This record gives sequence, structure tokens and C-alpha cells, in this order.
Amino acid sequence: MSKYLHEIRDPIHVFIRLDSFERKVLDSRPFQRLRHITQLALTYLLYPGATHKRFEHSLGVMELASRVFDVVTSNATDDVRRLVPEITNPDEARYWRRVLRMAALCHDIGHLPFSHAAEDELLPAGWNHERLTRTLIESDLMLPIWKSMRPPLDPEHIVKLALGARKARDLPFTKWERILSEIIVGDAFGVDRIDYLLRDSHHTGVGYGRFDHYKLIDEIRILPSEQGSTEPALGINEGGIYSAEALTLARYFMFSQVYYHPIRLIYDRHLMDFLKAWLAEGTLLGAGTFPIDIEGHLSLTDNEANAALRIAASEKAKPGHESAKWILEHKHFRVLYERNPQDVKVYSDPGEAISKAAAIEFGEAAVRSSKPRLKNVGVDFPVRTRDDRVEPAISMSGVLNTLKPKSIDYVFVNPEIQDRATIWLEKNRQNILECAASEEEKS
Amino acid sequence: MKQGQRFAMLLLLDREMFRQGSWCGETHLQKGTFLLQELLNAGSEYEFILYKHGPFSFELRDDLSGMQADGLLDLVARHPGYGPSYLLTADAEQFLDRFPKTVERFTRPVEFVAEQLGSKGVADLERLATALFIRIRNGMTDAEDRAAELVRLKPHIPEVDALAATKDADQLIGAVHKLGFVSGE
Repeated sequence: MSKYLHEIRDPIHVFIRLDSFERKVLDSRPFQRLRHITQLALTYLLYPGATHKRFEHSLGVMELASRVFDVVTSNATDDVRRLVPEITNPDEARYWRRVLRMAALCHDIGHLPFSHAAEDELLPAGWNHERLTRTLIESDLMLPIWKSMRPPLDPEHIVKLALGARKARDLPFTKWERILSEIIVGDAFGVDRIDYLLRDSHHTGVGYGRFDHYKLIDEIRILPSEQGSTEPALGINEGGIYSAEALTLARYFMFSQVYYHPIRLIYDRHLMDFLKAWLAEGTLLGAGTFPIDIEGHLSLTDNEANAALRIAASEKAKPGHESAKWILEHKHFRVLYERNPQDVKVYSDPGEAISKAAAIEFGEAAVRSSKPRLKNVGVDFPVRTRDDRVEPAISMSGVLNTLKPKSIDYVFVNPEIQDRATIWLEKNRQNILECAASEEEKS
Repeated sequence: MKQGQRFAMLLLLDREMFRQGSWCGETHLQKGTFLLQELLNAGSEYEFILYKHGPFSFELRDDLSGMQADGLLDLVARHPGYGPSYLLTADAEQFLDRFPKTVERFTRPVEFVAEQLGSKGVADLERLATALFIRIRNGMTDAEDRAAELVRLKPHIPEVDALAATKDADQLIGAVHKLGFVSGE
């Protein structure tokens, strides 16, 4: 019989508890590596406190996933029990609670050094950190741990819940598995998101990221995705709508103030340039991309990359010297252009057009761009009203109805040409956009 | 297909579905786009998997968010008890003016899809689109086998409804051929 034997102090959740079986996952090499992967890459250059790691975030996600699981399973109404009958079998529910905790704990073990910042162009085609996570969960390093649990866990179940349907498209998901994966990676109430907002807010000192997550979690329910639907979704009781609004606003502010802050984005870009040069050097890694084999992946953390970064900044002959210098001497590129609704009315992708034109005018080396994936802040979800109807959240909340997704796109230039480039853009902006628009249908 | 062209195709579909009485929720647009792409060779290259209410593309969901961000679509709660609808904004018509070739190319296929799906609710769309998905992706020919597969994938669908949906899917594919559209099947 397993017992909760281990307590870990945490600045966000106070105590995080694991039993002895789960402790084996914590002690595994893939998980211990997360002690050396920063959650927010180079964000500490803007917000000095942001040096926290994926390790504690993953523990937090496990803690919150357990809380949500307990709330939604103990408060399921009859209509929901019919949609997901797994809830009604105590043995099954216990099994899936354990799977959920382990999936939450392992959901980030595939991250590359510096987390997301280094991913897009630094892995072979077809690879991303989720695929590495899956490889690790299914590896010989972890399989004996899953087998040793009572009852043993099916690694495919862990993969599904850790990655969700978007990132594990080849695997069929039951409704129950979809709901459980939503608990971790869902757009509306995914605990990955809840933990990173709270934790990043705490460490950056940006207070906007805080919200009443106790109330929020207490009110989360499994609901039909709309009145009469056979599709279950994570939703909320009407009494929790204010805390759901607060979560949405926290996300909105954290994205605009921290995650998509232009200086953070340009540091990510410089870091990407440096890592590409470092990986292509040939003497250390050789392949031009991060390794995807297990030993290679486990051998690299922020520590190795940071050491190389410091050497490259001080030695002119080293690959990535310029990028390393820009990062470590805080001489990052400056914003030349930011996407705006007026320009979008002329051409759908104004950042791309201006970036290309600027590269022709000033040389590719002097121009960088950053267009992070669009984040939909105003996610819709079902709400159980006090008179027991199910309504879409945006019809219940003026706040949620008002918040729209925002596309982010910046063009940056070397500070040495910033003034010249600004004058050039002022003069040529409209012409660049109109020329691009005239070509828009020709592909 | 560039992003602007995809957006124009989706705006046309949404506008025409609305004209045909569709609720124009995300499910309606997901299934309409699935038909356009898989049966009418729209060239949009969304990756559809079986997910909520049948064929579903996360990339299409991203595009719908992108269109909201660009002020082309509004997500509107129209009636108590129903999910929200995607409706064209005033800027959307101006946007379409920038894509005359795309509008010309997709007008007929979009009208066809809207006629077929516009009056259907979410449950009907789920059955029909999943039946189409099975025929296109699984390569199964026998209608009863496909109906059984539909029930296996969607246990809440009664067998009789599954068989009817399978036949509806076959008829739809027949109509695509008959009207001279190039089927992607």
C-alpha cells in the first residue's frame, strides 16, 4: 500500500505531496534534468527574479491536476456520469488519478534548453518537445517505473494525458481521456496554464498574473459542452465565473507584459541565432540541431548552453559570437515595426512584408522578426447556471465577451541603424504593404 | 494556399452558411471546411482528426482565432442555451474585395457545402462528417461495415442513425461527382 510520505515546500502551493512510487519519477534522470531548464528562458534579463525552473512548475502542475480531478469527480452530476461512466468506478477513478498525476509531472520533460525559446528551428523536421516528452515517457528509463506502480500504469495513457489530442494525433482519445488531458493542457482551465501564470507572476514580480485559483478550482466541473450535447468539456459553475474572468485577464496581462514583451522576444531570437551557430559548430554536437536520442537530450541543459554562450561572447572566432554579445551585453536589436489593425487592412501579413523589405534595404544581418503563435485569450467554455442550464461563458460574462485574441508580430533592427531604418520605414511603409497586397493572390 | 486566401475561403463559407440558416458555430465551420477540403479539393491543407463532434482541425481553430484577431470575425452569443456563432464583421467584406480570384474560385463549392450543411444541427453534422471521414480515410466500401465503425467511434449514435448517416455520406459524394466538382475522395 502506497502512502504519502514525501512533502516538498513550494512558494505557490505551500506543500506538494508524493508517495514513494511517485518519488521514483521525481528521482529519475529525465525529471531531475528539469532542475536545469529555466521556465522563461532569458526573461530574467528583463525580470531578474524569473530564474525559476521547469522542475518546480511540473510539481505544481501535478498538485493542481490532483485538486481539479478530486473536485470534478466528486461533484459529477448524473448527466455527466452518463457521458463519462469511468467516474462511477472507484478502482478506475483511482487508476486514472494516478495516471493524471504522472502525466502532469512528466508533461515538460522533453523541453530543450531554455524551454520554448529554442524549439522552433533547432530540432530535426517533425520533432518538437512534446515528441521528446513522449519518447522519454515510453523509454526504458521510465517503463520500469510505470510497471512498478500498483496497479501498473500504461505509458500510452500517460502520453495521452501529458500531450493532449493536439500533440498526440495518432492516438485515439476516449471522452474521458479528453477531459483528463484538458485538466492538464486545456485552453480554458488547464492546470499547466494556471500554475505557470501564478508561478511566473510570483517570480517576475508582475502582479497581474495572480487570481483566486482556490475559488476557481473549487467551481470547475465536467459539463456538456453545450445544452444537450454528448461532448463533455471542462466548465464552471456560475459562482466561479468571476474567478474564470480573473484567470483570463491574468493571462491577457501576462502575455502582454511578460511572455510577448518585445524585448523578451528579441532576446529569444538572438538566443536562437546563437544556439543555431553553436549546434552547427561541429565540434560539440555537429548535427545543427539538438539531439533527439535520449542520452543526447538528457546531456544538455541551460547550463551547457550558458557556458558556451559566455565563451562565445568573449571570443570573436567562436560561432554565434555576435548574438552572444548582444545578449550578454544587453545590446539587443530594437523594435522597428509592430503589427497593427490598420496595416492588416491593407495586407494580411504586414510584418513579413516589412521584414523582407528591410532586409533588402539594410542587409539580412541587421534585421530580425518575431511572430509568436497566436494565443486566444478569450476562450469559451460551458457554465452551469444557478437554475441548472448550460450556457456558453461569453454569454454570461461581459469580460470574456470583450477579450479578443491578438496577433503579435515585431520587426527589429540593429540599434546602429535604428534611426535610419525608422525614417526609411516612415517613407516606404504604405508602398511596401500595397506592393505585397498586389501579390497576395498570385501564389 | 496563403493565409489570406484561407481566411477569404473561410469568410465565404461562413457567410454562405449563415445565409442558408446555419448557426455558424465552430462545429459548423469545422465540418463545412472538412467537406470543402476533403471532397472539393479546396487546397487548405488543414489536418483533420476525429475529435469533438467528428472531424476537427486545431489549425483551423487557430485560423478562426487569427480572423478574430484581425477583426474579420466576431464570436457572438446569439441565443440562450446555444454555443456562440462566428459572424462576419464589417471589415470582412472589404477583406474579401482584396481576393477576387479566391472568391470566384470558391463561390460554387461554398454554396454547395452550405446547401448541404446549412440546415443541420451539431448532432447531424457529427454523424454525417464522421461517416464521410470513415469513407475517405479508412477505405472501407461496405456501408454496414462503415456504419458499425461509426458506432464504434461514436457509441452514443444509434445503429439506425449510423447507417442513415453512412448512406447520406454516399449520396453527398455522389452529388459532388454529379455536379462536376472534383472529389478529393
